[in-house]
Amino acid sequence: MTRPPKPSRDARDVDLDDEIRTHLAMAAADRIARGEAPDDAVAAARREFGNVGHVKEVTRETWGGMWFERLLQDLRYAWRSLRRSPGFAAVAIGTLALGIGANAAMFTVVNGVLVRPLPFDEPSRLVIASYEPERGPFVRRPGMDEATFLAYARSARTVESATAFNEVQTTLTGVGEATRLRASSVTANFFSVLGVRPAFGRAFTPEEGAPGHDAVLIGDGLWRSRFGAERSAIGGPIILDGVRHTIVGVLPPAFDFPFGAQVWLPITIAVNPHETRLRPVAARLAPGASEAAALAELKSIVARLPAASYGESEHFIPEILPIRSVIVGDVSRSLYIFSGAVLFVLLIACANVANLLLMRATTRRHEMAVRVALGADRTRLVRQLLTESVLMSSVGGAIGIALAFAGVRALVAIAPEGLLPRANEIHIDGFVLAFTVALCLLTGIGFGLLPALQASKRNLSASIGDGGRAVSGPRSMLRGALVITEVALALVLLAGAGLVARSFAQLRSVELGFQPEHVLSMTVDLSPTKYAAAPALHGFREDAVSRLAHLPGVSSAAAVNWRPLGGALIKGTFVVGDGRRLKNGEGWASKPAVTPGYFHAMGIRVLEGRDFTSADRASAPGVVIVSAGVAKRLWPGQSAVGRLISMEDHPKPTDWLTIVGVVDDVIQEGLRSSRDAAVYSPLAQLNSAFFLGHLNFVVRSSGEPDALMAAMRDAIHALDDDQPIASLGTMSNLISSTIAEPLFQVRLLTLFSACALLLAAIGIYGVLAYLVTERTREIGIRVAVGAVPSDVVRMVVRRTLALTVPGILIGLIASFGVTRVLSGLLFQVKPTDPATFIGVGSALVVVALAASIVPARRAARVDPLIALRQE
Amino acid sequence: MSKQALSRIELLQGTLDFIVLQTLRWGPRHGYGIAQMIRANSNDSLQVDTGSLYPALHRLERKKWIAADWDVSENRQRVRVYRLTAAGRKQLAVERTRWEQLTAAIAGVMRTPLAEGES
Repeated sequence: MTRPPKPSRDARDVDLDDEIRTHLAMAAADRIARGEAPDDAVAAARREFGNVGHVKEVTRETWGGMWFERLLQDLRYAWRSLRRSPGFAAVAIGTLALGIGANAAMFTVVNGVLVRPLPFDEPSRLVIASYEPERGPFVRRPGMDEATFLAYARSARTVESATAFNEVQTTLTGVGEATRLRASSVTANFFSVLGVRPAFGRAFTPEEGAPGHDAVLIGDGLWRSRFGAERSAIGGPIILDGVRHTIVGVLPPAFDFPFGAQVWLPITIAVNPHETRLRPVAARLAPGASEAAALAELKSIVARLPAASYGESEHFIPEILPIRSVIVGDVSRSLYIFSGAVLFVLLIACANVANLLLMRATTRRHEMAVRVALGADRTRLVRQLLTESVLMSSVGGAIGIALAFAGVRALVAIAPEGLLPRANEIHIDGFVLAFTVALCLLTGIGFGLLPALQASKRNLSASIGDGGRAVSGPRSMLRGALVITEVALALVLLAGAGLVARSFAQLRSVELGFQPEHVLSMTVDLSPTKYAAAPALHGFREDAVSRLAHLPGVSSAAAVNWRPLGGALIKGTFVVGDGRRLKNGEGWASKPAVTPGYFHAMGIRVLEGRDFTSADRASAPGVVIVSAGVAKRLWPGQSAVGRLISMEDHPKPTDWLTIVGVVDDVIQEGLRSSRDAAVYSPLAQLNSAFFLGHLNFVVRSSGEPDALMAAMRDAIHALDDDQPIASLGTMSNLISSTIAEPLFQVRLLTLFSACALLLAAIGIYGVLAYLVTERTREIGIRVAVGAVPSDVVRMVVRRTLALTVPGILIGLIASFGVTRVLSGLLFQVKPTDPATFIGVGSALVVVALAASIVPARRAARVDPLIALRQE
Repeated sequence: MSKQALSRIELLQGTLDFIVLQTLRWGPRHGYGIAQMIRANSNDSLQVDTGSLYPALHRLERKKWIAADWDVSENRQRVRVYRLTAAGRKQLAVERTRWEQLTAAIAGVMRTPLAEGES
């Protein structure tokens, strides 16, 4: 910087002072020359000149380019003025730090999950193409069958390239303890479509999709945890599901697409007439192609294909979705709700600080009047006051960022596993900082503008005259309005939190149909290579169950292939032996397969007939047990026992199975779904590896769960220590983990509404405390003319209710509209649940009255003599 | 008293700048001198408010129509003296033309006889 030095503000100020001083001196000299007395002449010259401070001020305005100096001056002044009232500053800045910090933390999460670019090349050109049944038997997520994918990848012109992938699980052995890994089967061009290069090694070659190749890529995390981050791992072996593969590449850190995969296996998509699988398809749009054009083309391609039909649904929907939809899923809804909640907290904080400023303005009225007398015009005062409030919000924001650092870490830590996708992307970056700075400026102006306009509007002679004594009027109305707003905002937030909490309580009290207490469960996926055929699978299961049954403290042990609330289940159709055609849905049920003793171990009531026994083996006649739902649906008022059903669509005589018992319906899918109708088969009578290889062992015991869990693990490892054990825990804990997301929502919303409640209480307290101070004289007079303390207390309580009740009413009306956004989250609770609304309304009244205790007591103790002498 | 009333003639927006430039045509002057001269030349009917004069001087200086120098008075006080620049002279010509057009126009309006039927 070698510009000629600009005259500094100070030098220009000195010049201006001199200029005016000379003007006054000359004017006085002229008057003296005309014969006036020197003293009178000086005074007259001054009078004629007018307000020196004002002239200087308006002259300085024309200088321009000095805004920075002026800002510094305003800042210095603001800083001094805050230093002079540390109590006020601490409360205001603390409140703002809380509000801004919460918003910065939440925005950090939103930024990481929803905003930050995905780890792909040109992510804006990547889309998910889907052609899915509108209403299938399973949770809808984007997917496309093989024939459609092949046609689409071959003929689409709006798409440069497309890849199909699906989620698989695989068992890693040979390096450390056997473990289940998330993996993905992907077409060989997967990485080139996404535009991702391995950090080391190479991606798949086009031939590697075909059978006979053993190439896999692994994720950075797996490479570090199991392969010591050694480059030599590339080209080396990895044992997956008992099969040796060769690692050809390691992906960059943070790349775990899709579904948190750590292993990528190549596949070739081919049409199989017996089995169809819907896989998500990622496509890279051709340069210049729009999503709309891609959708139009997808529609025309599927229209040319032969009609497909699966299960219950005939209607397929072609869709082009943003690639984020596969990654982010449902969490965006929660994040938006949380963001709304923290915004409410910030609004309440702003209202609170605005209120503090209004009260402070009363005590500063004298200062303002003096500044006006010294020549400051209104714009100048407003700017000064706004500088002060922005300074406060900035200090608050700086502390808030520090809070956000801790808050983000805590948030990610308490978020249930897998709820926050891209968790490694969640950190405070430049964008978050910019957001926070903008937020500071906005809040500073937001809460500062009204008080600044109010404070600068004073009639100056009145203020200097009365030395700053209180007059109630528009200003106290404004304060009241702010508190009412705070109460209303807090109520909306509390209502939201209350609804989510009630919904969570409903989820917790759902009738499961089984007794999870004292049940432990673990999942074992048997290696499809080592346990390929039914005899090996039967052998392992029977050995395992008998070992588990003999563990100390175990009263019964059993196995089921897909357990209730295990995240997956098998559903299917069946037919009945009396030749009836089953209407829509009647022949549809979940189909778990179990060992004898399963119902006892799980605490599922056997309503009629018998449990399976060890006699129900492969060679014995086929039997099933149905749940009450099936029995009631098909044989209402009659016994189901002894009737025949078959799982085959066109059963041969040997396919008929006899119902030997009826058990209670249980919740299978999730706590939010209803209890499922089920048809249970004995595992011993099945022979498909698919139904036998995935096992959940359940054990009922009265013993210490921790010791027993270790013993259960040992029992399985004693049989075969290459088989991975997953989801080992008490049934109650396993169930809780399925409602971790609503629990997280409850915790966060409760935390935010507690902040809101606290701030609202501080707001109410502040206004009441000020009211009592303001009216000390009035209270003194009242007491002097015979009011007793209880009258005084009643006055304060009346004022409290006058602030709270309208706030609650407005809040209730607003809640009716706002809580609707929660309807998707709520379970068996209406967004307008009256009990919740009444509950939170009463809670607010109680909190408001609690906040009024101290001011009320102070009012009751006013001594009329002292109060009146203050005059 | 009448002078008091007269002194409250409100100057049209921008007119003060013109008057200041015009005043400086007679030679460099300081702020007080300018105010006195305007007053004298208007027979005391224009009394320039210092709160307008000084901002105007500083504004004109920024526009480079006038320049300021420091001088020392007989009483050894620092005096800020303003003078017209070449650009200021040009501007003055422009302002004068505009002013003459305006006064002519207003005079024209004022001289128009009342329309028929209005009385």
